[in-house]
Parts: sequence; C-alpha cells; structure tokens
Amino acid sequence: MNPVAIPVLHSAVAIMTPLLLASMGGLFTELSGMLNIALEGLMLMGAFASIVFTHFTGNMVVGIALGVLASMLLAAILGTVTLHLKSNVFITALAANLFASGLTVVLSFKLFGNKGVVVFNDIGRLPRLDIPALAKIPVFGDIFIGHNIFVYLSWVLLALCAWVLYRTPFGFRLRATGIHEQAMVSLGMRPSRYRFIAFLVSGFTCALGGAMLTLNLGAFVPNITSGKGWIALVVIFLGQKKPIGLLFAALVFGFADAFSNYAQGAWNVPADFILAIPYVFTLVAMVLFSIYTSRKNRVE
Amino acid sequence: MVDRMEKRRVTIVATLRNSIGAVVIVGIALAALVVLSLLLSATPLKTLRYFFLGPLQNTYYFGNMLNMAIPLIFGGLGVSLAMRSGSFNLGGEGQLYSGAFVATISALALARWGSAGVVVALFLGACTGGLLAGLSGVLRMKWNTSELITSFLVSNAVVLVVSYLIAGPFMDPATNLIATRMIPESFRFTRILEPSNLSSALFAAVIAVLVVHLYLYKTKSGYELRLFGLNPRFAAYGGIRTKWYQVWPMFLSGAFYGLAGGMAIFGTYYACMKEFSTGMGWNGLAVALIARHRPAAVIPAALFFAYIESGARNAMLHSDVTFEIASIVQSVVFFLVTSAVLQKIGSVQRRSI
Repeated sequence: MNPVAIPVLHSAVAIMTPLLLASMGGLFTELSGMLNIALEGLMLMGAFASIVFTHFTGNMVVGIALGVLASMLLAAILGTVTLHLKSNVFITALAANLFASGLTVVLSFKLFGNKGVVVFNDIGRLPRLDIPALAKIPVFGDIFIGHNIFVYLSWVLLALCAWVLYRTPFGFRLRATGIHEQAMVSLGMRPSRYRFIAFLVSGFTCALGGAMLTLNLGAFVPNITSGKGWIALVVIFLGQKKPIGLLFAALVFGFADAFSNYAQGAWNVPADFILAIPYVFTLVAMVLFSIYTSRKNRVE
Repeated sequence: MVDRMEKRRVTIVATLRNSIGAVVIVGIALAALVVLSLLLSATPLKTLRYFFLGPLQNTYYFGNMLNMAIPLIFGGLGVSLAMRSGSFNLGGEGQLYSGAFVATISALALARWGSAGVVVALFLGACTGGLLAGLSGVLRMKWNTSELITSFLVSNAVVLVVSYLIAGPFMDPATNLIATRMIPESFRFTRILEPSNLSSALFAAVIAVLVVHLYLYKTKSGYELRLFGLNPRFAAYGGIRTKWYQVWPMFLSGAFYGLAGGMAIFGTYYACMKEFSTGMGWNGLAVALIARHRPAAVIPAALFFAYIESGARNAMLHSDVTFEIASIVQSVVFFLVTSAVLQKIGSVQRRSI
C-alpha cells in the first residue's frame, strides 16, 4: 500500500470517532421520529464540561461522567420543552445549540477569565490501546491499533446500539414511535416517553464524542465541535439510518477530513479552503445520495 | 356599521389576548437574564441596569440599537418568505456575508457610477445570496435533497471562501484590519441620527417590510406561495407550479439576506471586514420565528433582538459579564417561542358558528 495512505487512514479512524458517537445518539432520536439538530450543542456541552470537570476533580473518568451528565441535562431540558411544552423540535434544538455555545464561553470567561483557547496542562493524555501482537499485522495493525480508548468504546457502543434497537422490546417500540405514532398511542403507550429517552441517549453519546475532542487536545477551544454535530446528522442520513451504515458513512467523512489535513501539509492550499472541504464533501455526498434514492424510488 | 365596529373590537381584544403568550415568553427570557446576572456578575444590579437601560440612555446607544435591527429586519423577512413556502433556509450566515462581500467589491469596481452604482452593487449582492439559497431550492426540487441541510452546508463553506478572499486577494494593504478597501464616499448612506451609526438604510428596511407584506397578501404569486407552504399537495391539485415554489422562495430568502449584508456595508461598516457578520444570519432566523413569519411582526421582533444584543454589549462594556450572555437569553426565547402550550395562555378559543 501507498505509504501516505496508511497514516491518512489511521487518522481517519480517529477523526471519525466523534462523528460516529454523535450519530449513534442522533440515530435514536431520528428513529423515534424527530430531526435532532441539537447534536452539535450536546457535543459542545459534553466537550466543555468533561475537560472542566476533569480539571477540577483531577480524575478523567469522573470528569467524563460529569461531562456526560451535563450534556444529558441539556438533552433533558430539550426533551421537556419539546415534548411537554409542545414546541417545534427544530427550533428548540437550535436553541440548545445556541445555549451551549453561549454558556460554554460565558463559563469559560467566568472560570478562567478567558474567552479564547483554554489550555489545561494538568490533564494527562487519553489512554491508548496498544496490542503489540495485533499491531504487527501489516495494514490492519497500522490502521486500527494504537488509538485512544474512545475509538474502541465507540465500536462497542455501536454494537450495543444495534442490539438495543433491533433486539429489545424497547428498541421495537422506539422505532414504532417513529413509524406510526398513533399506533403506539392506540396500544396504550406514550410516544413522548420513548422520545424523551432518545434525547437522553443522544445527550449521552454526543457528550462522549465531545469529550474525546477536548481531552485529546488537552484544551478547550470555543466552538471546538465546529460543525461536527451537523456532519453527524448527515452521517445518519447517508448511513440509511442503520447502525452499520453509520460506521461506513462516518468513515467516509473521517477520510475526507484526514485527507484535507494531509493536503494542507502536502500542498500549499489556503487554510480556509481546507476547512471548507468537509462541508463541500458532505454536500456532494448528500446530493449524490438523494439522486440515488430518488432514482430508486422511481424504479419502484 | 355598529356591527363592523363590534367586530373590530373583538379582533383587537383577541389579538391582545393572543399576544399574552409572547409576553410570557419575553418575561421568562428576561427573568433568565436576571438569574444569570446574579450568578455571574459581582455587581448584578449594575450589570442589569446597563443591560436594560444602556441601549436607551442616549442618542448614540439608541441609534446604534436601531441600526442593529436593520440587517435583522432584512434577514427576518427573508426567512419568513422561505418559511411561508414550507422551506427552511439555514444558510443565512453565508448568504449575508457573501452578499456583503459582493456588494462591496461591486461598489469598488463601480466607484464612478455614483448612486446608480449603489443600486447595481446592492442588486448584485442580493443576487449572490439569492443564488446560494436558490441552489438548495433546486436540489430539493430535483432530487428531494433536504434544503435545510444543504443550505447550512453551502453557507458554512461559503463563509470560509469569502474569508479567504477578504484576507487574500481583496485585502486592503493600507490598514491593519483584515478587510477590503473602503467603499467610495458617494456609496455611503447618510447618517440620520448623529453621533450614532443609524443610517437611512432604516427607511429601506421599513419599505422592504411593506413590500413583502403586500407581496404575500395582495399578489397572486404571494397567495400561491402561502398556499404551497400550507399544503403542497392541495396546491399541486389546484394547478400551482409546485416546482417553482420550491426554488423561488428560497431565492428570495437568500436575496434578502444578501441585501441585509449590502445594507450593513453601505450603511454602517463601509468595508467588508473578515467575519463582520457572524451571528447576523442566525439572528435573522430567530427574528422570523418570533414574528411567526408575519412580515409586519418582523419589526418589533428585530427591535427586541437588537435590544438584547445592545444591552449585552453595554453590560459588557461597563460591567463584568461577557457578550455571549446575549446568546443564552436568545436561546431561552428559542426554547419557548414555538411552544403550543405557552401560546395558548390567554388565547381566545375559536368557536365554530
């Protein structure tokens, strides 16, 4: 294999992980029948809270747990306002994004007197998984071994998601809510309950995705998620709303991102153009996908 | 005659009672602000005084607040048009920024044209925004691609490209700012409330509200647009060109955003600075939502938003909180503004006759 391809693929696997985590939670809300554009805000909330709590508690596991709680709290507010005050989920999710981007800056200023990048020197590196035996396997070992624990955690969670959605009564009911809300009501079940739990799940996984971003960097950068929550949403559509599809779609974006990072170093392209690549790439993927589905529907 | 007056009285009462919900929402948002100040500020009373009274304390701040509302009015009108037709335009940020940029470089290129150049430059800026949004409309029409996501993606990419152009080929080497050259004097709108930044673009904004109102409610095309937004299938059976109404409102919506950008440059900034418009697009969307897509209501909604923004700016200048406190208050409004439960408070139940 081309010597350039392996490092690019290796970093693609790392880059896709926050996308995969966020899209997993988004899959729950999506299947329960709601377009959840708050993934971005939930990720940001988790990203900020995880590193700040790690800093104050001095323990990464506790920090991440509290970060996850913070994100789930925002998801619970979002769920309550949407489901019980009967608001438009699109607007309330936008509110959650705005809230997270405002609150993180306000708190960062209050706690650290700084609205810009906050570097935490006291935070250790994320534990990495190194299995020398597996790492020796050519290509596979070079690409899949030696990542931080979030990468492997995301694969385990993906399998868990697939199991919950397709093998448990809860999963069936959640998906039924998305397919036919009235049928659920007539069976005596409350759709809003399943949707609320779906919100909590998206808060949970998005927080993990966000935590990986800040803890990996050892710093908080304002709006560090920079559109990743939105791309996660596209991953759900491109992955055809199936767990295994998410994996492939996320990998495609991870690769696009890794490639643009590589391009920045290799060719003399302006940084702004490089930053635009994931959006353009996502756009093209979206359009191609919709052409494909509209053709397919026409044939059927 | 008596009957008609009676009817009018009833509608006024109904309107007032229907707006109780909006008052409740604004009240909760302002209460959130008070709580935030108590939590975050060492001198909460001082912070709150600057927040609430700052924008009104003198002509300078008051004029700047009104000036801040101008791009919000244009943006709010744009979003309302798209929303009325059942389309979502999430690309306001990029459409506004690129509209401002194209209007600026057109003004620089057409320096000798004078006031005709103003019109042409604003038109070109509006078209830029319109085409960007229209693209999402076309994608939706042809392949049913979600315009909500494509408009957002296009906008994000465009913001970066415009930033590159401003910092690169079009940068003014004479200043330390990352900005284009200043537009000629003849292109700048007159200041109407010295010493504030308020310019005659305010009149253009008010006229735009009237035009959009008349378009939506008094023309055939506006009627078809609303009908398509309410029920696309019914509209299709009624012989309305449904394909056209997936593209045209998006184009208009982007064009208004582009115009908002051009107006901001010609009225206030005089040069296109890197990322000068960050947040304006989203705020335009917020304004449209609070106004529930009614053009006439866009003005008070824009004023409310401008008030919160300039209040936050004032509190930041004179006290110890950051400007981002405004986005938290705005998000509280967003959380509650579409709530069917809150909207029902005090509203008159429609009785069937």
